[in-house]
Amino acid sequence: MVKKVLIFTLVISCLGAKTGVYEKNCIPCHEDMAVKIDKFFYRYLLKYSSEMEVKNAMTKYLKNPKAENSILVDGLINRFGVKKKTTLRDTELQEALDTYWDQYQVFDKLK
Amino acid sequence: MLVLKNWDINLRSREKKTLRSFLFLYAFLTLLILAFVAFLYYGLERDLMLQNQRETLSNLTNEQIARLKSLHVNLGKEQTYPRDERFNSAIYDSSLKQIFSTLGTHKVNLYEDIYLKADRIYFIKELESYYLGARYIVLEVPAPPTWSEKVFRKLLGYGALIFSILVVIGYFLLGLLLRPMKETIALLDRFIKDTTHELNTPVNAILSNIEMMDLHTLDETVSKKIKRITIASKTISNLYDDLTYLVLSHKILSQDETIDLKVLLEERLEYFSLLFESKKIQLSYSLEEGIYLTIDRKKMTKLIDNILSNAIKYNKMGGMIEVVLSPQSITIKDSGRGIDKNQIDQAFERYTRFDRSVGGFGIGLSIVASIAKEYALHVKLDSVLHEGTTVRISW
Ligand code: HEC
Repeated sequence: MVKKVLIFTLVISCLGAKTGVYEKNCIPCHEDMAVKIDKFFYRYLLKYSSEMEVKNAMTKYLKNPKAENSILVDGLINRFGVKKKTTLRDTELQEALDTYWDQYQVFDKLK
Repeated sequence: MLVLKNWDINLRSREKKTLRSFLFLYAFLTLLILAFVAFLYYGLERDLMLQNQRETLSNLTNEQIARLKSLHVNLGKEQTYPRDERFNSAIYDSSLKQIFSTLGTHKVNLYEDIYLKADRIYFIKELESYYLGARYIVLEVPAPPTWSEKVFRKLLGYGALIFSILVVIGYFLLGLLLRPMKETIALLDRFIKDTTHELNTPVNAILSNIEMMDLHTLDETVSKKIKRITIASKTISNLYDDLTYLVLSHKILSQDETIDLKVLLEERLEYFSLLFESKKIQLSYSLEEGIYLTIDRKKMTKLIDNILSNAIKYNKMGGMIEVVLSPQSITIKDSGRGIDKNQIDQAFERYTRFDRSVGGFGIGLSIVASIAKEYALHVKLDSVLHEGTTVRISW
């Protein structure tokens, strides 16, 4: 009985909170950073405007991060150090970015 | 120049048609050109107005961009799109997708710079930093309130002025165009008038002298010749009457009296009897009694004479003529050469002749028409080419 309850809660927690690639891959690493991930998003938005261009630019950077391509100011990039190439497959990265976009895009949010 | 004074009678319907199409074309062309100029002028005025608005709008846009910037920085805490009572605005991303809009319309031309539509001015600017992802910002303000009214009033004023000037020019142009035609008609009328004067006395002398002769005392051949002379003189006399009517008709006062049509018709048939004879025409008539009409005797005579003389003139040798008088009409039917269907309308016009081999000035039917018009009689012309013509006068 106790076993059953344990398995049940485990399955629930697995299905529930951290299901997507974004939640599993990006958040854990970014959570602890001084600059939150939404700030990065808005910086991309400021530079690239449309959904397509923002996603393209992020994909390009995440697959091959270089200091000179970063949208972070020099001070920050020096502090954090250039991140490593993503280990995600293309489709997974795409999915992560979709979630990322949906979370912070402004279209439905403005009032 | 009696005839020239009255255009209605003077200008024949074909010429009137020409005139009308000329006027129509002229007015149409004038309006077309005016519309084109007005269009250009409107465009100029509009651009000037927009140019004047540009600086204010640019300043307002900068204010709005500053607000967008502060919203972008505070996103997460703040989500209210900045609004301003002086204008409506909208932002679009680089794929032209609308991010947010308070505009009255959803159709905005982002490729323009500034434009006017439905009394609103739209000002479009590209942002340098895409706050909120916005690459384009559009401001919408109402056009200066009295602007379009002012422009239209100006346009209407100038338009009316230029149009009236062009109308005056058109009037003179028309005079120029019509002068040769008017001169020709006047010349012809004058010629006829002069000829007429010289015709009267000799014809009367011939006719009255023949009347004085006693035909029974003469032998057969001479009396035959005299008859021919009578016919010829009567033809001339008829022509003389027509011409006087034509030239003086507007001066002749009608002396209306009650006329017994049967008596009059018999008299006229008698008058033409020699002509009938000479062409071996079979005359048949049925005249009802007791039909009266109040009309000028001379004019009614003229009307009947003209129809009868046409019926004879255009008839063939040994043809037939049928005259019927009924309470509502006179019908004169002949077996002549007839008139072509599409020429019937022209038949009543002065100087129109369909057959130049037969004498005449082509004024007979125009006289019939003018008399009929005066007394509100209906003249109906039915004709089959090579078979004959039926003229029906009804009242
Ligand atoms: C291993 C930790 C780690 C993981 C996993 C990670 N990031 Fe990062 N990310 C960083 C660090 C460190 C930086 C700052 C240095 C830099 O920008 O290169 C950064 C920077 C960024 C930036 C700014 C890029 C720039 O132009 O400088 C974006 C956007 C970003 N991450 C998105 C993501 C997304 C989306 C994911 C998930 C697919 C993700 N990150 C996964 C560590 C991580």
